Parts: sequence; C-alpha cells; structure tokens
Amino acid sequence: MLDHTMTIAILGVGALGAPVLLLCVHGVSSLLERPLGETATGKACQAVNVTGLLASLGVLSLMLLDGTRHESIAIGEWVSIPHYHFSVKLIFDRLSVPMAILSFVLCGTVGAFATRYMHRERGYNRFFVLYALFVVGMVLTSLAGTIETLFAGWELVGLSSALLVAFFQERPAPARNGLRVWVVYRVSDAALLLAAVVLHHLSGEGDFDQLMGAGPWPDGEAAVSGLPALIVGLLLLVAAAGKSALVPFSGWLPRAMEGPTPSSAVFYGALSVHLGAYLLLRVSAILDTSPWLAAAVVVLGVATAFYAYLVGSVQTDIKSALSFASLVQVGLIVAEIGIGFRYLALIHLLGHACLRTLQFIRAPTLLHDYHQLENAIGHHLPRSGGPLGLAPGPLRTWLYRFALERGYLDSLLAEYVVLPFVRLFIWCDAMERRWTDLLTGRAPQPVKQPTAMMEDVA
Amino acid sequence: MKSFAKKSTTEVANRAPLRPDGRLRVVTEDVQAEEKHLRHVIEHAGHLLPAQGPITVFIHHNTLHAFEDLPFFEAVEKGAQVFGCEPYLSEERYREELGRGRVRVADVEAVLCEDLGPRASEPILRLCTRLDLRLAMLQYPLRYGPTEELLWFVAETDALRRVRRDVSSTTRGRFVAETRRWVMRDLRGGNESGRNGHGTAKSGNERVEADLAGLLERFGHAHIEDWNDRTWEAFALQSLWRVCCTGIKSAPECTASLPAPIRHADLLRQLTGQQTDLPVHDLLISFCAAYLDQGVADWPLPNREQGFYRAFVSLHRQPLGPPNGCLGELSGELARLEDSQIGPLGSIRESLCLLGVPEEELQSFVSATLLALPGWAGMVHQIELRGDRVRHPIPSDSLIEFLAIRLILDRLAVASAARSSLGFRGSLSTLRDELRRLIDAAPAVSVEQRAFQVFQLAQVFGWTAETLSRLRPDDWTALLREIEGFSAIERRRFFHLAYERRFVTRSLDAVALHAPTCPPPDEIPRFQAVFCLDDREESMRRHLEEVAPDVETFGIAGFYGVAIYYRGAADAHFVPLCPIVIRPQHWITEHVVDGLTETHQRRARARRALGTASHRLHVGSRTFALGALVTATVGVLATAPLVARILFPRLTARIRNLFGRLVQAPPVTELHLERSDHVAAGPQNGHVGYSLVEMTEIGERQLRDIGLTQRFARLVFLIGHGSLSLNNPHKSAYDCGACGGAPGAPNGRALARILNDPRIRERLAQRGLNIPGTTVFIGGFHNTCDDSIALFETDRVPDSHRSELEAAQKDLEEALNRNAHERCRRFMSAPLTMSFAAARQHVQARAEDLAQTRPELGHATNAICFVGRRERTRQLFFDRRIFLTSYDPTHDDAQGAILTRLLQAAVPVCSGISLEYYFSHVDSPGFGCGTKLSHNVTALLGVMDGAASDLRTGLPWQMVEIHEPVRLLFVLETTPEVILGIMERHAVIGSVLRNGWALLAVLDPYSQAIQVYRDGRFTCYEPEAEELPQAASSVDWYRGCRDHLDFAEIGRRHVRGPASSR
Repeated sequence: MLDHTMTIAILGVGALGAPVLLLCVHGVSSLLERPLGETATGKACQAVNVTGLLASLGVLSLMLLDGTRHESIAIGEWVSIPHYHFSVKLIFDRLSVPMAILSFVLCGTVGAFATRYMHRERGYNRFFVLYALFVVGMVLTSLAGTIETLFAGWELVGLSSALLVAFFQERPAPARNGLRVWVVYRVSDAALLLAAVVLHHLSGEGDFDQLMGAGPWPDGEAAVSGLPALIVGLLLLVAAAGKSALVPFSGWLPRAMEGPTPSSAVFYGALSVHLGAYLLLRVSAILDTSPWLAAAVVVLGVATAFYAYLVGSVQTDIKSALSFASLVQVGLIVAEIGIGFRYLALIHLLGHACLRTLQFIRAPTLLHDYHQLENAIGHHLPRSGGPLGLAPGPLRTWLYRFALERGYLDSLLAEYVVLPFVRLFIWCDAMERRWTDLLTGRAPQPVKQPTAMMEDVA
Repeated sequence: MKSFAKKSTTEVANRAPLRPDGRLRVVTEDVQAEEKHLRHVIEHAGHLLPAQGPITVFIHHNTLHAFEDLPFFEAVEKGAQVFGCEPYLSEERYREELGRGRVRVADVEAVLCEDLGPRASEPILRLCTRLDLRLAMLQYPLRYGPTEELLWFVAETDALRRVRRDVSSTTRGRFVAETRRWVMRDLRGGNESGRNGHGTAKSGNERVEADLAGLLERFGHAHIEDWNDRTWEAFALQSLWRVCCTGIKSAPECTASLPAPIRHADLLRQLTGQQTDLPVHDLLISFCAAYLDQGVADWPLPNREQGFYRAFVSLHRQPLGPPNGCLGELSGELARLEDSQIGPLGSIRESLCLLGVPEEELQSFVSATLLALPGWAGMVHQIELRGDRVRHPIPSDSLIEFLAIRLILDRLAVASAARSSLGFRGSLSTLRDELRRLIDAAPAVSVEQRAFQVFQLAQVFGWTAETLSRLRPDDWTALLREIEGFSAIERRRFFHLAYERRFVTRSLDAVALHAPTCPPPDEIPRFQAVFCLDDREESMRRHLEEVAPDVETFGIAGFYGVAIYYRGAADAHFVPLCPIVIRPQHWITEHVVDGLTETHQRRARARRALGTASHRLHVGSRTFALGALVTATVGVLATAPLVARILFPRLTARIRNLFGRLVQAPPVTELHLERSDHVAAGPQNGHVGYSLVEMTEIGERQLRDIGLTQRFARLVFLIGHGSLSLNNPHKSAYDCGACGGAPGAPNGRALARILNDPRIRERLAQRGLNIPGTTVFIGGFHNTCDDSIALFETDRVPDSHRSELEAAQKDLEEALNRNAHERCRRFMSAPLTMSFAAARQHVQARAEDLAQTRPELGHATNAICFVGRRERTRQLFFDRRIFLTSYDPTHDDAQGAILTRLLQAAVPVCSGISLEYYFSHVDSPGFGCGTKLSHNVTALLGVMDGAASDLRTGLPWQMVEIHEPVRLLFVLETTPEVILGIMERHAVIGSVLRNGWALLAVLDPYSQAIQVYRDGRFTCYEPEAEELPQAASSVDWYRGCRDHLDFAEIGRRHVRGPASSR
C-alpha cells in the first residue's frame, strides 16, 4: 500500500523522468545517427508531455485532497560532507506545481504545433533534441528544491535556447544573435552561480526549504538576513534580469526571434522569459528581509515595463511587438513580486504565458486578422500613437528615436561594458606578448585592433 | 569627358563646409543637368530591385523583369551575376535527375549536338570527339575545389590508388593493362632499343620518364614482375597524375580572375573581415520599416510625410544619441547637411564625390549600393510608385532619398572602420585604390586544379600516362581550352536544356498522340462549367468530366472579363479584382436583399462592436494596465483556444464558424451591378455598376472567347477561385492571379447575372448570339485550399431546373472529393491509401491548421499552358501541370483577334507564375524568400527573417519545393502565321516568346501536327513515343505515387470501347 508521500514522490519523479526519457531517446538515437522519423517524434513528444502533465496534475490533486502544501523529494546527493552538501531535490508546493503544469501544457501544445510546422525541415531532429533539452530544463527549474538543482535546469534552458535561436545555422544573422543570447545568459548564469556559492558559504547548503524557512511557499522566512541577504538578493536579481530580459539586458529578446516560430513563441515569448520572475518568486523570502532589495526589484520591474512599453509601441514587426509586449508584463510581474503580491504575480505569470503563446503562434495570421478587423469596424484601424505620441515636438522625436533604437541598450552595453572588457584583455594579451618576446628575444608582433573583434557585439 | 568626381569636388568645396551661413547657392544649369542625370541613373538602378509589392496582394511576376529584353539564357546568367544568385539548378541536382531517368543521356546528347552542329564530331587531339568530351563532362561529376582541398584529396583519399568508381570495368582494365605494357616495354631500365640507338620517339619525354623512373623506384622496381593488379592500378594512376601535372606546367598559365567588388564596404570586408554593412543595415532596416509601416506600430514615424530624407535627418540629428560605434559622427554630419540645406540629390553627389566614384562607374556603383539591401529598397520603390495599393502612401522620390541616406551611412561607417582597423588616414576617395592594392590579386587557377580536371577525365576515357606524355605543349593548351571552354555554368545550361527537352517531348507527345474526343454535334451536354484557366483547375475539370462524362468544361482567365473594384456586404473597402495590368474603371458592391436589411444592420453593429473590442484587446494586451488586467484575469483561459486550435484544427474551425454565422452578413445578398446609361462610373452611390451596353459587351466577349456560342446546356456554372488558409502570410500568392492576387468570387457571379438578364440576352441575340431561354447561368467560387465550391444566388434558379441543379451539385461534390484526393498524393503527411472523403477532410483540416506551412501546393507543378479546344486535351491526365484556356480557332478571324485577347491575359499571367516559381526554386535563399519557418510579418507589407533582416521577396521554399524548374511551354491551337503576326503586333507577347522566357509550339487546328518555335521559326515536331499509357481513371493512374507523373490517356477504352482504342 502506497502512502501519500510515496505516491507524490513517484508521480513527481515521473513528471521529471518523462522529459528526461524523451531527451535520452532523442539524444541516443541522434548519436547513433538513427534519428526518429517525424511521426515517431510527434508521438513521443505527445506521450511525454501528456505523462508529465498527468503526473503533475496527480500531484496537485493529491496535495489538494490531503491539504498538504509542501512536499519535497530528495533524489540524492552530489556532494556531501559534514555541514556542507549539494543535493538533488524536488519540491512540490503552490509555486512549483502550477509552474510545472504550465510548462507541460505549453510545451506539449507547442510540441504538437512544431511536429507539423517543422515538417520536412532539414533540422527537424535537431529541433526536437533541443526541444527535449528545453523541456527537461524547464521542468527541472520549476520543481527544483535546491539552488544547485535549479541552476542545472536553468543552464539547460539557456543552452537549448541559445542553440534554438541559432537554429538556421547556415545564415550568419541567427548565429550572431544566438551568440548574443548566449553571452547574456552566461552573465546571468554567473550571477546565479555566485549566489549559490554565497548561500552555501553562509549556510552550508542550498536547499530552499531550509533557506526560506520551514513554512510552505510563500510564507517562509529567510534563513539569511542583513548584508549577506542583500548581496545574495542582488546577485539573484542580476540572474533574473538576464534571463527575463529586464533592463539593461533587454536587447537580446527581439534578437531571439531568429529561430523557427514555435521556439520563439514558447521559449522567449512565454516560458523562458518568465524564468527570472519565477526565480524571484522562489526566493521571495529573501526579498522580505531587505526593503532595499525589494525596492530594487520594484524599480527594475517598473523600469522594464516602461521601457518595453515605449519601445514596443514603435515596433513594426509582429514578433518584436509581441516580445516587447511580453516584456511589459514581465516587468509588471517582477514589480508585483517586489511589492509582495506573490499570488497575484503567480497568476499574472500563468495567464500571461498562455495568452502570449496563443498570440505568438498566431503571429503569421496578422495580415488576415487586420483585414478581418477592418471589415468588422468598417474603416481603417485607428492608430492612437499612445500617450507618448502626444508629447511636445522635439521630445516626441527624441523619444521616438530612443524607442526605435530600442533604448540604445545594445550600443551602450557594447560601448561601456564589452569594449572596455575586450580592451582590457587585448592589453593583457599585449603585455604577455611583450613579456614572452622579451624572454625569447623575438621582434614584437603587431596586435589586433579591438574594433575588428567587436564585430560580433557591435 | 570630365570626371564626375572632379566636377563635384569643386562644388562641394565651395559648398557646405566652407559656407557656414548655409544660404542656398545659386543652382547653375550645370548642377541641374547633373542632377537630372543622377535621377536617371537611380531610376535605371531601381529597375533591378524586386518588383514585389505588398504581400497582401501577391502578384506573380518574372523575378528577372529587369532583363526581360534579353534572351532567356543570357538574361539568367547576367542576372545571376548581378544579384549573386544561381541561374540554374546545381550540377548534382541535374545528375540526380539523370540518375533517376528524369533526363536521359539521349536528351543531353541531342542538346549538345544541336548546339555544336558539325563541330560535334571533330576530334580533339585524336583522343576523343568534342561531343564525347562534353558528354563525359556532363555525365561524370568532376571534383573541383581550392588547391589545398584537392591536394588533401589526392594525398588522403584513394584517388591515386583506385580508378574512379563510376568508370566501367573494361575501361579500367584497359587503362591498367596499357600502362603495364608501356612500363614493361619502354620505361623499365635496360632498354634494348635505347642501347641500339634507334629508339622510339621519346625526345620530348625524357623529363617525364626521369620523373616516372623515381616513381618506379618507389613502387619497388626490383619486384616489378610480382606486382599485383592493385599495385599496377595505383602505379597507373600515379604516373597519370604526374604526367598531367608536368603537362599542364608546359601550357600557358590561366589568367582568369574574379572581378573585385565595387563597393568600399565589400572591399573592406574582403580585406579585413569587418562588416561595415551590419551597423548600417541595423539602422536602415528599422528606419525603413518605420517609414513604410502600414499600421503594426501604434506610434507612427514623426515627419514621415516630409519624405525619407527629412524624416531620417530630423530623427537622427538629435543630440544625446547612443555611442553608435563606427557611426558616431552621424548626428553631426546630418546636422551639417540640414543646416547647409543640402538636399537628397546634393547629398548623393557629395557622397559619391567623397567616396571617389568616377563617372564611368556611376551606374554600377549606384546599382550595387541599392542591391546591398534589395528587399527594403525595392519596397520603398514599389510603394512610392503604386501609392494606390496601400493605406499609407509615401512621398515620391523616396528611393532617391533612401540612396542619399544609405550613402551617408556607408561613407561614415567605411571611413571610421578603415581608420580603426587599417589605420587609414588618407582621403576617403583614395580608399578603394588603397584597398585594391592591399588585396592580393585574386589567384588564377592553379596547376593542380587544372591537372585534376584532366586527371579525372583521363580515367573516364581511359587515357593512359603514355598517351598523355606524348602531348606537346600546344596540345596541352588545346586540350585545356576544350575542357575549360565548357565551363560549369555552360554545363548547367546544357543540363537545363536537356531537362527541359525531356519535359517538352513528353508534353508534346501527349498532345500529338491524343486524338480529339469530339462530342456529337447534336447532343446538348447536361451542364457546362467554366473555370479559371489556373493549373489547379485542370484536375478539377478532369475529375468532373470523369464523374459526369456528359458535361463540358471550359477555361478562361478567372476575372471573367469583369474588371472591377468590389466591396462585399461585410467589407470595409473596395478591392481591385482584375489582372494587375488593368486599372478597373467600374465599381461593384454587394448588398443584402431588402427583407434582411434590418438583420444585416443589426449584425453589422454586432460585428463592429466585436471588432472594436478585439482590436482594443489586441492593442491593449501590449500595454500596461489593460495588458495586466487581461493577462492576469482571462489569460489562463487562452489555453482553451490554444490547445483546441492546435490539436483539433478542423473541429475548432467548425465551432468558430457556427458562432461566426451569428454575426456574419446574411447569406442572401445580391450584387449592385447596374447603373443607368448616362451616369459616369464611380465608387459613390448611383455610380456603382455597369451600363447595359457595357454588360452586353462583356457577356458577348466572354462567350465568344471560350467558343461557347451554341449548344448551351440548361445549366452553365461560372466558377471563380481563391484560397483561404490560416497563418500564411503568402496566402495571396495562392489566390486567383487573374484577379490580381485576390479571391475571384464576385467575378463569375457578376457574369452569371449579366448573362441571365433577359434584356442582355435580347441584345446578344441581335448580335447573333442566341442563348436559349431555358439556359440558366450560376456563379460560383472554388476554394482551392479546402476544396469547396459555393454557388451564388441559387434561390433565383427556376423550379424547373431544381432537380438538375441538385444532380449537378452532387457531381461537383464528388469531383471535389476526387480532386482533394489527387492533391493529397503530393502531401507527405497524407497517407496514400486515403479514401476520397478522407482526403477531403484532410484538406479541410490543412486550411484551418495554424501549424500548416503547406496549406496547398498551389502552382508548384505548373509547366504548360494550352490554348485551344477542350477536345484536344479532354481525357488526358496532365497532372495539374497545365493552364487550360478554352479557345476555338475555327471561330476566330484570320488575324486571330480572339487569340490575341486571350494571350494578352494568359502570357503575362502564366509566364509570370512560371518564372517566379522557376527562380524561387533554383535559388531559394537568393531569388526566393528561403524557409517560411522564421518569417516575421513586417509593416503589413512583407516578411523578414527574424527581427531585423532584409525584406524577403519571392516565394518561400515550402511553396516551391516540388516544382520542376522548366520554362512554361505554350501550346496554342493555331497556325504559325497567326501567332507570328500576334507576336509582331504585341510587344509583351512577342518579347516573352521571342526571347525564350517561355517555349512555344502550335497545334494544327485540323490535324495532329505540331510545330515548335525556335530561333524565330517553326519546325515540325516528330513524336518520340508511339503511344500513350492508358488508365481507366485518374486515380488508377496516380495511385500510390507522390512524384510527377507521365501524361496518360484516361478512360479512353472505357468510353469508346475496345475497338477504337489505339
């Protein structure tokens, strides 16, 4: 006779195991150069998502029936020494279960979409390998019970996203933009990793249920406080900002639209762009310890929302317009988290993800929709220009340009962050060369100019 | 001639920088003339840009329209060079077709012989004939690549150990045996003849022999008699390779080199790898999209109405901009230009002068500059020219202003990049010379590259090292001239000719061997159906004739002669419904019949309310407050439509239609077709419609055009067509081409109304066209995507015709099912074993499926256009590859007045479709718009790849994937004299056919004789086949097959009995 916890454990592991199995099947068959056919891929993808969804729903109903609000399953330890351990642990609570259900619903739907959409495409199999990787990452991040588990999922999502942006690898632009996404993700990953290290340093472990207190989400109380909490919080905020394309990292979001429509729809429009917000929700107890931190979150969220609204209102292509529209809501969700409306933020997140996926999937129908709307309304569609269109002349033009060039974020980052970095390393390179030349007695070699190297970032 | 650059230098010198007061300088006549010239140059360059307009009205046209006045082959090769694209399929693709029998060696040989004439059998150095050589070069893939790659290939693969796999074993055996004999006889040391002093002719060969002696040594000279076959084979190849290399060295070097690019940016990129076009394009793309936007962005570009130049300057001259990398000086430069009042043309002259572009390069430099971002430049040009086709037109001269801005950006970016990466400090005008100096002259073809060609051919022919070692330097030169004279591009051209030849043979055989099925003259068909001449209606007509052998079908340009601006009862605007070359002079509206006006108004209000609400929602979901409210409250509910539409597209569509019906315009509507005779036509009330005289004219012309002047059935259907599918920005490309890329429902309906009018029938009777009182015309609309036909105004059909109408509708339904079934054989995702009804459901689901990138395959198989009586093609299976236009030559006059009318529509429309498919297939990323999967609708005008790319014109790969790129073959049922006369009189028809943009053959109206047009004259055609394959029905012929099929006779035996079958 299975007891309650045991059933939840089995279902929970099933929810994570299903996509892992999919990844194994795809990965192994691709390595053996015997990729699945289109029909088999579609069926596998469907089966896995349905299994995962049913398992998550099972967990949900069991927890509802029983009234438990917090279950965790320890799968094992990576490293364990006294007072210090890295463990793999899944957590089921009011935050992770809805998020897992959302992941399965959206990934499943978009997977079904992609099996037909990608029909006869050369990279069909590659797409689904990356898709499986993404689903694993997404579910792992949602269900993660320790910060290191979350980091693993977070990395998988980042890796698959960057490769999917560069899906059309025969053209230069997708490769360039994929690299850009990858670099921003790396920054955010580094911040998350640092946060994890600091947390471990402080308490010897990264388990959320210990760190965030014993109470179930969102009522936990953080185990850290004061300056350490602020530092950890800020690092996590940077991590969230990179992943969710908050200011100043927003530049990668429109660039991610280079991939096939289903991947841009689910990954950047709907799911992975919310991961930053999800991370903040997960560690929301830390936000409570420091009003400064909470204020920073609110400011960043509101700034992103304003920025994205301004930029979005001048975008002339449907995918960019939708991605900035997403960003407005993500900014608001982050602000809500900062203020402390946890449930509102979660509901907002779930609703937004669903609606935006539908809009992204329908994006190519834009022309048809506009035609229909015009016929229904009986005249040309009004263009309000929004409240900013009413600003006085010179300011309006200035704002318009600011919006059209996406707030100059990319060129500012390139000029004031990347270029100094590159220059520094070139300088180090030159110094090293000098030193080695001195030792070997060779004539000095010319040094490469930074601008030629800047090509990919500028 | 005074150089352009010099002239402008002086001007610029006493212009802006030196005149801080910024007053307009007196414009001299000289400047005016120069600017006029510049305008002319830009206009000329503008012709090279893609002529595709807004994607919502997709007009198929020749992608290389700029080269239309050249012969086809010259034009494609030149076009390919200018645009950097492929003119034909790749050699591998053609060889694949050769491998699977789509092209035969006989075809290749025939086209080679035809081209070479008597030169074909000339021997080349007594090694082989010219024909043999060329044939071998076509048949056998010759590896070619950079020298390093070839050296690697020779060293690392078994290229020097095993003879090519594709060489026959006899040739291989002979090749090895002869080498062996030669080595044993002449090369092996201790040569008797040498010792005796009367040796063989080896004076010139000493070097070779010395070289080979070393080789012999390496192979183990001592055990030469123990060498096995493999060793001998390796030795034969290595000696051959050495002889080839030595021989080539004795011939003069190859001096051909690639032309250097003309733009500074390209030269700089070639030298340093730095792409200055990237920042320039980033800026230009977003600006172009904002400038042309037709309503995606909520906030329009400020100062748009002042033109491209002023809008750009006022936007980008502002302070507090971004650091902008190599465009850092932009705002200062723009401020200078604006303050010194330099206009677009003045700025172009200044930029050209600063960049150091001399007069003689002007045209090509301007063209290359515009072609660096062809999609956007082309769209600016198109919108500027045809402001009537868009909601928000742009001022004229926009292309000139685009060029002005582009040149300013180019020169700033290039100057800054050259400064930073090359440390270039000189004047920008000397930069190109400097760059050209720095770039090494493009390397000529290396010895190894040339030798490897000969080496491979030698294996194919079995030429041994001995044979080649006897060649003198002159012989080597001659041999290389022969081989290199048959270049890759030429090989592809001949492959293409052979590829087409096979197709033409099959098509003409089908027409020539098919005896006409003349209906008995006194028998009246049960009903008649007129369709568009579209290739997709070929199968529809064939199936209808199979289902109901006692009916007749006709084909006509799908606008039915009714060239109108049309507004439906539920439409907001008039849309043109006629070929793009015609500007309609008449307006027609649809309105709801009297009894239902109230319902109509109520529903229109409901639609407006719903429309406004959903528009608000659409825009609102992108804003803060409303967006937050919507997403947080009802967002999760979006899962329902999301999941339903993706997993159950057909069911969801049905439910949506059910609800949609509640607010749709009531189904009982009529056309407002008639206006009184003395009012001018116009879109306002009272001016809508045709006068009686005009309607009579249209009715008579249409009936006479298709030869329907007697034997009227009791029911005549006039069916237009269109295609409705979701998530398909290129949907309009599937609509009726003769209706200008719009669904042509109202046209057939209007013609039916005209022909049913008793007053018009009376007038027609006076003109000798008697339509019996019992004949009823019914308009209809065929949706070629989900294969449905809607008939209009059937409530007006008299009761006497009811039962016949019902029977006819049943036949049409059955034909539609079969048509869907035949289409499904092409869809890889549709099983081949489906039933007719299942096939119909499959195509319905496709039309509603958001994930479907191939809702239909449209014109993807088009290849022939037949103009003649249906008897000549009835019961022939043409595999949906033929445009069928009905025409009765026996009713035409000696000049072919009717034929002329028909061809005026058919030639531009059909050849446009054919050529668009040709180019989009042969180079999908270049001439077409690549894959659909990453497309992003921009500015409501076109698609981009991702969020910032050039605007992609042409057709996506998913649409053209199964196309066979051949030129359209016109088969006209007429005489050579008539068509030559028409070609003489009508420039468009003449230039398309004379320049070979389409092929032409005529079928004699009174016999089976066919004559083919080539190089200005007609020659008789002899069928190659003796008889056509036969099948009982279409499905019997195409069953189980997804590929293109041979043409066959359908149901012949069945209909005429075994006695009359051939």
